[in-house]
Amino acid sequence: MKKLDLVTPALALLLAALALTACAQMKTLPSLPESHPEALVVGQQVDCSECHEDQQKGTLKPMNAFSHTRLFVKNHRFYAASDNRICETCHKVSFCTDCHTNQVELKPSVKNGNRPDREMPHRGNYLTLHKIEGKLDPASCYRCHGRANNERCVACHH
Amino acid sequence: MKRTLCCLFSAVPLLCLPALAGAAETSVDSTTIFRIERRDTGTQKDTLLPATEFLGMDATKLGDGNLSLHFYGWGRADLADKSFNNDKAAGSLSYGYLQYRFKQANGDARLGRIFVHDGINNEQVDGIALRSDLPLGFGVSGFGGATVHTAHIFGEGTDGKGDGIVGGRLNYRYGGLLELGISGVYETTAPTLVLHSNGNHRLLGGDVWFSPHKMVELTGHSSYNPETSRLSEHSYLLNLKPVRGLVVSGEYNQQNDRSYQYAWAMFSGTTLQPGSNGALLNSGDTTRSYGGSASYQATKAVEVAADYKHYRRVIGDADRYGANARFSFLDNNARAGLGYHYVNAGQGFAITPNTSGSFHELRAWAMHDTKSFFGALNFIDYIFKQRVSQEKSAWEAIGSLGYHITPALALSGDLSYGKNPDFTEEAKGLIRLTYNMNYSSAGGK
Repeated sequence: MKKLDLVTPALALLLAALALTACAQMKTLPSLPESHPEALVVGQQVDCSECHEDQQKGTLKPMNAFSHTRLFVKNHRFYAASDNRICETCHKVSFCTDCHTNQVELKPSVKNGNRPDREMPHRGNYLTLHKIEGKLDPASCYRCHGRANNERCVACHH
Repeated sequence: MKRTLCCLFSAVPLLCLPALAGAAETSVDSTTIFRIERRDTGTQKDTLLPATEFLGMDATKLGDGNLSLHFYGWGRADLADKSFNNDKAAGSLSYGYLQYRFKQANGDARLGRIFVHDGINNEQVDGIALRSDLPLGFGVSGFGGATVHTAHIFGEGTDGKGDGIVGGRLNYRYGGLLELGISGVYETTAPTLVLHSNGNHRLLGGDVWFSPHKMVELTGHSSYNPETSRLSEHSYLLNLKPVRGLVVSGEYNQQNDRSYQYAWAMFSGTTLQPGSNGALLNSGDTTRSYGGSASYQATKAVEVAADYKHYRRVIGDADRYGANARFSFLDNNARAGLGYHYVNAGQGFAITPNTSGSFHELRAWAMHDTKSFFGALNFIDYIFKQRVSQEKSAWEAIGSLGYHITPALALSGDLSYGKNPDFTEEAKGLIRLTYNMNYSSAGGK
């Protein structure tokens, strides 16, 4: 019984010591800057490796991984899922919500009709196309229209 | 109670507006769009005149310098016929939150209406989100609050979502080589729907980023649906970067339709079969897609890319392949692009009553931006292998012309015209007034 009485406070002390050590160490962990220190050209597909050779403090990943090649833009969901804080150093959240939002008022390609260079979903007459594309890859519909943004969808699909 | 909580969380950032007076850096983005649309379906002609305002604001360096306020939303008023549903006016707060960034460990706290993109989680929440790096390469993030209800589902009094949501992610990074993450989301019980069927939104998942060499990168995630007791998704991407400018990718995606779309109130009569007691019975189809792509930045002015993807579903197999090219001139002030893709799809993917779902996709665009004027041209054409509603193709041409009144203020207009199976003629016009005030010179936002 006495042994048990000693174990609990000992464990608590150990946990407290670990927590204090962790907190002390956290003060040494770097943060990404709030914004990119230099202005970047709007519309230019950024090549991070032009300036950054090594891995970025705060992400522990090589900056080359974030260079905006055409394939990066196409597959950006993989990077945003674990490193959206690095996205935020250059992009406002509103840049993302041009497409990724819960209630879209305008097709992104219509709202940004003066920017054909940007990758935008559903360009052209997608009303016809979706009858084929939706069967090809329903998961791609679900990502944006699954639990939100589906008011127009359920008008017909119910 | 839930509405009160939603309003409270959404209103928190607005309560701090007076503090903006001392904000060191504030930016306001406003886009006002007047649309003019004329639609002719052959039997009915409509003229629409909706006016929409998109407004966003970011105020940084508040308080001790680490506090910031962000919001973005839109509102629309129909100046003529109703443009959508029964409402002549509509609006939405996309996000509105206070953020506190800690100077160490990438720590931050957000309070208000927020988007969460973390691991397998993609949610909009009225609540709080926290994250921080931890010692020894670990990191943690979490969120919780009230679910944001936005959609009005036909015939239902709810959008099918539960009212509360909580989730998070724990990750481990080994510098420059590996990141492993586990994440999950738990939403309170979904309401019962009258005309649709849906399930509770609860998922567990894991994600990986692995780069054993700077030329090789593997990333992706898998998720498991405890409601169906099945894996719902695998999605993985392999990137090879053998020489500067060249990226070769392979991807593999697999979804169990029922488990992946379990919380989706749509298509309840197809992929999600309701049983007599409301339970979802069928295990559902499995959708697989895999393929490869390559992009090459030949010079700073030219980038070419080619891709191939194969789709495998119970209803059949299909392929998509094609290529794109992008060009940049005049120090990136002039840009252009070309693209061609072909989708080879059989009867299972066709638009009823066709026997083929195959089509060609052609796209060409160009744009030019000067200190005073800017303009863009965009053409896209889908050419069907088999006519759809007697139409051989669906095409649209858009022209845009604008003028920078000041460096922050621009007026532009778009005109588009097209023909397609849904509209014998579709002509649209748009006037856009854009104001981007940004006192910060940093970043490319």
